[in-house]
Amino acid sequence: MLTNFWLPCFYATLASTGFCIIFNIRRPKRIFFAALGGGLAWAVYLLAAPVGSDLFQYFAATIALSMYAEVMARIFKCPATEFLLVALIPLVPGGGIYHTMEYCIQGDTSAFLETGLHTLGIAASLAVGILLVSSAVRLYQTVKVMKRR
Amino acid sequence: MDEQQLLDLAGDVGFALLKSGGEIYRVEESIRRIFLAYGQDSGDAFVIPSVIIVSFTTPQGRSYTKMLRVRGQTVDLERVERLNSLCRKICLHPMEPEAVRRELESIEGVSRYGYHWRMAAYAMVAFFFTLLFAGTAGDAVAAGLCGLATCIACEQMNRFHTNSFFVNTIASAIIAAMALGAVNLGLGSHYDRIIIGALMNLVPGVMITNFMRDIIAGDLLAGLIKLTESLLVATAIALGAGIILTAARLLWGIG
Repeated sequence: MLTNFWLPCFYATLASTGFCIIFNIRRPKRIFFAALGGGLAWAVYLLAAPVGSDLFQYFAATIALSMYAEVMARIFKCPATEFLLVALIPLVPGGGIYHTMEYCIQGDTSAFLETGLHTLGIAASLAVGILLVSSAVRLYQTVKVMKRR
Repeated sequence: MDEQQLLDLAGDVGFALLKSGGEIYRVEESIRRIFLAYGQDSGDAFVIPSVIIVSFTTPQGRSYTKMLRVRGQTVDLERVERLNSLCRKICLHPMEPEAVRRELESIEGVSRYGYHWRMAAYAMVAFFFTLLFAGTAGDAVAAGLCGLATCIACEQMNRFHTNSFFVNTIASAIIAAMALGAVNLGLGSHYDRIIIGALMNLVPGVMITNFMRDIIAGDLLAGLIKLTESLLVATAIALGAGIILTAARLLWGIG
């Protein structure tokens, strides 16, 4: 449990902290919560593993993360993007890009295409996850504003 | 405030927002709201990653339009946040143009983390991603060194305004070469994990996730531009590491 679950989440949190500095988040409290989002994303990714589809894992992690970012945005009164961009980084398919390249230089065309398409699929499931949550939040807000009138 | 001032102001706020990495819809909406706040209901904006066009027509029927070319975006979330709250403030209480100018200038002066901080951040990202991708402690240390080198290489090349394709190719080649070197010297044991961890500094994560959001949200042109850009960056990264790995395999039989 410790080495398979908590340690990776801890690593993801610290890696996200690095990105807080690269993306110039200056307030310590926000750095903490943005980085924590990275750990949360990885935790959900790992918890969703029993489903058996890594696309679903990425999707579930992104959904959880986007909701977290929206809540944090309400608490800190700032754009949700601030938390989203940083915390999403652990989910970005860097390994996919690398393996695609490796199959390409080995001349294994079918594995190259398969990995490349799979990498695109991961990117797509990240985007759809973010989009679902942010659209739902926007819809909710619009409905609320219209009802008030 | 007269029309010309309003046009300049809305354009400059949008420009600063886009330049700091604000999303397309945020830039368009902010500009539209600033126009609304100062009573120009017809005001609108068209934004793609490299260009902002702002325009409005006065009730008397005179049109004002301005185009701003945006070069070299960075991600600076502190600025995005401050610009966002400036826009909110304008929408609630339209301020004098001089007051907005002053705020814009103070946002322009928001400091970035120093060189050493950024170097440490690159090293930290590489170090922990290698651990996350099941690298050993030795791998992680090697990746941290790769991260330092990546930061130095990127910053030096960006000083001379090198294009991003070339920067990414060179940086990823440096990473691959250092990773192979580290494994051969016995510092790490998995060169692939070192490379993947260190590459996370270069991977266009922001672009990959933003382009599809833009496309689905209806900003097709902006989405296609970002898609092209992210594919280009991904290709550059693959190319740089690929050249080094192929060369190492063919010439020295390692890797």
